[in-house]
Amino acid sequence: MAEEIRALSAQYAADPSSLVFLRLGEVLRAHGQTDSALKVVLQGLSRYPHLPEAHDLHARILVDQRDFAGAFDEWDMVLRLVPHHVGAHKGIGFLYYRAGEMDRALYHLRAAAELDPEDAGLHAAVERVAGGEEIWETPMPEAPTDQAPHRPAADRRVDNPFADLPGGSDGLLLADQNGLPLGGGSRTLEGEDVSEQAAAALASIAREAARAARLLAMGEWSHLSVECADVSACILNPTADSTLLAVIDAGTPGGQLAFVADRAAKSARAWLERQR
Amino acid sequence: MRAIEPWVLEPLRTFVDESSARLTLLTTSSGQVVAQHGFQGAIDLMSIAALGAGIVASSTEIAAQMGWIPFRVVAHQGRAQAHLLSWFDTPRGRWVALVVFGSETKLGLVQVFMEQLVKDLVAATPPEAPEKREVLAADFERELNASLRALFGR
Amino acid sequence: MSAGFEELLEGLTHMRGVKGALLVSAEDGIPVSGALVEEEQAPALAALAATLLARVRDLTTQTGHEAPRFLHLQAADGLLLLAPASNELIVVGVAGREALIGPLRLEMLRIAERLH
Repeated sequence: MAEEIRALSAQYAADPSSLVFLRLGEVLRAHGQTDSALKVVLQGLSRYPHLPEAHDLHARILVDQRDFAGAFDEWDMVLRLVPHHVGAHKGIGFLYYRAGEMDRALYHLRAAAELDPEDAGLHAAVERVAGGEEIWETPMPEAPTDQAPHRPAADRRVDNPFADLPGGSDGLLLADQNGLPLGGGSRTLEGEDVSEQAAAALASIAREAARAARLLAMGEWSHLSVECADVSACILNPTADSTLLAVIDAGTPGGQLAFVADRAAKSARAWLERQR
Repeated sequence: MRAIEPWVLEPLRTFVDESSARLTLLTTSSGQVVAQHGFQGAIDLMSIAALGAGIVASSTEIAAQMGWIPFRVVAHQGRAQAHLLSWFDTPRGRWVALVVFGSETKLGLVQVFMEQLVKDLVAATPPEAPEKREVLAADFERELNASLRALFGR
Repeated sequence: MSAGFEELLEGLTHMRGVKGALLVSAEDGIPVSGALVEEEQAPALAALAATLLARVRDLTTQTGHEAPRFLHLQAADGLLLLAPASNELIVVGVAGREALIGPLRLEMLRIAERLH
């Protein structure tokens, strides 16, 4: 597998306009390298924005990353381009099933099964959702007006860069380079939301850290650790145009701070890629 | 931001950006305005330019009387803001800088970037025309008015 | 530069990887005392360190946390360490990548405590 990745990567590097990115993305995804797969497919989509297979691959990677709303948008795009795309019907059907919207799930899964009669697993899934084999005797219903599957507000992962981290976005704030909050939040001990003020301060800190490192000939800065009596914090740039603040209680061993911040930065980078 | 000579603008812009100075005034040691940032109104500028040159001259004289090396920098610290007066030599003669700044920056930072401003100005100074004309009183007033027009666009 | 302050900083300057140490006026960002720092670097180091600390203090004030007592700026070719000794003074250290943060931090906190 690693050999195949190397070979495909070399082909892609030699000709970035080729469609080999589809195969490379699939292999990276199969190998569990979803971040790399995402980068590759996004690069490919920048050249081929109307390629259904690229959107389908993008959707499957987003499902791997549990960005279900993003995946829905991608499969919805596929169906606009190719109304009878098996993969898109299967994917959207799965998302509706996951969200508990059985009528919509059944429509899409059945549409996929009708397009691919050889897929026994798909047929079994349709019968399970429908509650029996009799479904095949009923006519295919009208296509529903598709909306993104409803999810409870607490599960709105697309708006929270840190939703998939244990503990969620507790103690995590992501800000853009202009000092505006992008995700997560910051609260005082009394519960007052100070995300905007903290984001503004973060932008100034990032600017000063960069200037200090530059003028003192220290190279590029990677992170700033701050120790207070009550908390410890780490500030870093997940991307060139964003800044992350990670805060932990003072009682937590200091060595864990870098780990928490790195993990949050990785999550933030993936989220930012999806937004772009 | 305005300057009588365009080559002054880039070093001054860098200085203002880095130091977060609120107001900056560059003059010759005789009080002729070379460049300014943040000032409104010609009358304020003329007074301040003259006073700044006077303070530097007085401070230099005190040092001479006491047998000290003249102070290159004089800082006055207020509650809400501070100002720094500094003289330095350029290929165009001795200049004076007046910088007004607030709590958003630090005296040390202003001084550090003042040093850099001096280096940048010296490096940016274009070669002077071979002949210099003598500045008579009438010429001086004409030059002062021309510099005010250039600085305030009038 | 005060001989007493330099004695305080001396232990720090002998630690592995340390390139220099300064005592800095937090208000003005001007060096108060220093050891082993190239003379020309001292003003910039003092000013930048004090400004960085001021920005971090803004953040801790906004978020309702205690004032910072130790900062560590990590960069590709070195690190900058700050330990505020009070509202007036900051202990500042610069070191190469080979420096060990743990021992440096303890020494700087010890110096800051003595100055407090």
